[in-house]
Amino acid sequence: MSLRTSISPPAVAQPPIQDAPSRHHMWQKISPYIYVGPAVIYLIIFMIIPVVQGIQLSFTKTPLVRPDGGTGVGLENYAKLLGSPQFYNSLGATVLYTAATVLFAVVIGTGSALLLNRAFKGRTVMRAIITFPWAVPTVATALIFGWIFNRSDGVLNEVVGVMGIGQQGWLVDPKFGMAAVVLTSVWKVMPLVMLVVLASLQSIPTELYEATRMDGAGALETFRAVTWPHIAPTVRVVTLLMTIWSIRRFEIIYLLTGGGPVDSTNTLVVNVYRQAFSNQELGRAAAIGALGLVLSLLVTVVYFIMERRTAAKEA
Amino acid sequence: MSTKEAPPVLHAPARRRLKAPGQRNFSKPVRLLLLAALVLFSGFPLYWMLNTALSVDSELYGQAQGWWPHWERLADFGELIGTVPIFKWLTNSVVIAGGTTLLSLVFAVLAGYALSRFKFYGKGAAGFLLFATQMLPEALLVVPIYALFASLGLLNGMGGLILANVAFTMPVSVWIIKGAIDAIPYEIEEAASVDGCPRVTILSLVLTPLILPSVAAAAVINFFDGWNEFLLAKTFIAERDLWPASVGLASFVGQYLTSLNSVMAAALLFTLPALIFFLLVQRRIVSGLTAGSVKG
Repeated sequence: MSLRTSISPPAVAQPPIQDAPSRHHMWQKISPYIYVGPAVIYLIIFMIIPVVQGIQLSFTKTPLVRPDGGTGVGLENYAKLLGSPQFYNSLGATVLYTAATVLFAVVIGTGSALLLNRAFKGRTVMRAIITFPWAVPTVATALIFGWIFNRSDGVLNEVVGVMGIGQQGWLVDPKFGMAAVVLTSVWKVMPLVMLVVLASLQSIPTELYEATRMDGAGALETFRAVTWPHIAPTVRVVTLLMTIWSIRRFEIIYLLTGGGPVDSTNTLVVNVYRQAFSNQELGRAAAIGALGLVLSLLVTVVYFIMERRTAAKEA
Repeated sequence: MSTKEAPPVLHAPARRRLKAPGQRNFSKPVRLLLLAALVLFSGFPLYWMLNTALSVDSELYGQAQGWWPHWERLADFGELIGTVPIFKWLTNSVVIAGGTTLLSLVFAVLAGYALSRFKFYGKGAAGFLLFATQMLPEALLVVPIYALFASLGLLNGMGGLILANVAFTMPVSVWIIKGAIDAIPYEIEEAASVDGCPRVTILSLVLTPLILPSVAAAAVINFFDGWNEFLLAKTFIAERDLWPASVGLASFVGQYLTSLNSVMAAALLFTLPALIFFLLVQRRIVSGLTAGSVKG
């Protein structure tokens, strides 16, 4: 993966430790495990075992009040899910939410990076303001936007009222619910795209631009020939990350709409939570979670296949 | 297309390369307009949080909210947030975020060192584990971890929450620390080990000070994550007095007993430390995050 290599200096090559004195030979052999062991064991306990248990849970009917007292039901949870329109609605909401959030975040973020990648007065201040949302805690974000979108007293309705449009229930009308959570999410995550792409832009050697200018290339050609090829790998990686994170995103949606209105923002992750803690059906929740995990993995696999194709084309 | 040269910037800091002569695809007014729109988009909600925190009650319900903050309300700020146990919750947040950071860093420094400096059987597998676990959705894990903690009696306590948080924050830290150690010349340790220094001592006394900036970056990212974390805390902690600020503030979503300016004032107190922190270490966070989350 190339994001790291394109934005930070390559690591200095290191000679691994080999010439250990013989009396320390055994010690040399085990010591790496002593260092890496705690982290690995920790992740096995808190990540791997829970995932395995989650998948096991998905084959059971387990009530929330007795998480270890489930009864096996085989594939029933999956069969029910795959036969219910509610699940496909949830899957559709996830895909729509993810696609829209990633698209806007990557396009606006990359655009902002291009705009900020040249000198002008006030650039530092502007960059700081544009980056701020990333540092705002998610819960605070949800509180602010919940108030901005408020039906009777929110400022958005005040503004559209001036434009002659009547009050809209941005968070309670199924027409707008998804748009509202996407807008809030883009506000929050776009700065990260901007910062990462900006870092990549600033690593383009000035000589490249000078050379193309000597050749008499215009702005658009320069962008196509120099800028885009240089930042494209970064944009691709950041798109992958944004996609995985969007599939996983919970707080903003849960706090703004709770999956509503009329389940229009009931993404898989929100759905898992509602099944587990509102409907108290841990088994069904785990089955939805497992299918969500498959979706994330699918995205990653597609990304790697595309990367390989690009690499093959370039070679 | 021949646009004019950008005007020279006076007093530009020398260390930063300000000019990137390639970007000329927009004419100046269009560029300024786009930038203004961006600044408005990003800045307005924050301004609105401040404006709402400093508003008078009558503005919030019924009457239209004014465009400018009532600065005189700053004097009542204590009273405003007095209706919300925000300091209690912020203290809990500090404990949770601090504990998460410390524990996560201990694991990360040890594991990052091993992954950077040793060749050993299973290294690839350990690296894969650290990368792959970043893909797991919290919502899938929250149920089994809840079940595990219920059986261990770890629910409803900050200790259990810290343990769970670390599982999510530690992998990124390991990559950041590993990347930092990769960049330190090996000769420095070699010199120390010739002097008969045990390896743990080298790691803690020689190497760690050298990678301190990266350790700090990892610490900030971990602290952020702990400060922000909501899902696990909401699920595991039922007792109001033990809530972190994220869960406490979220409990005001959609309820109208506490007036909104108090809630926003509390939210502002929750946001400001994160913003200030972020401004101080912005550059490091970005390089750390991108290095950490991508390297496989």
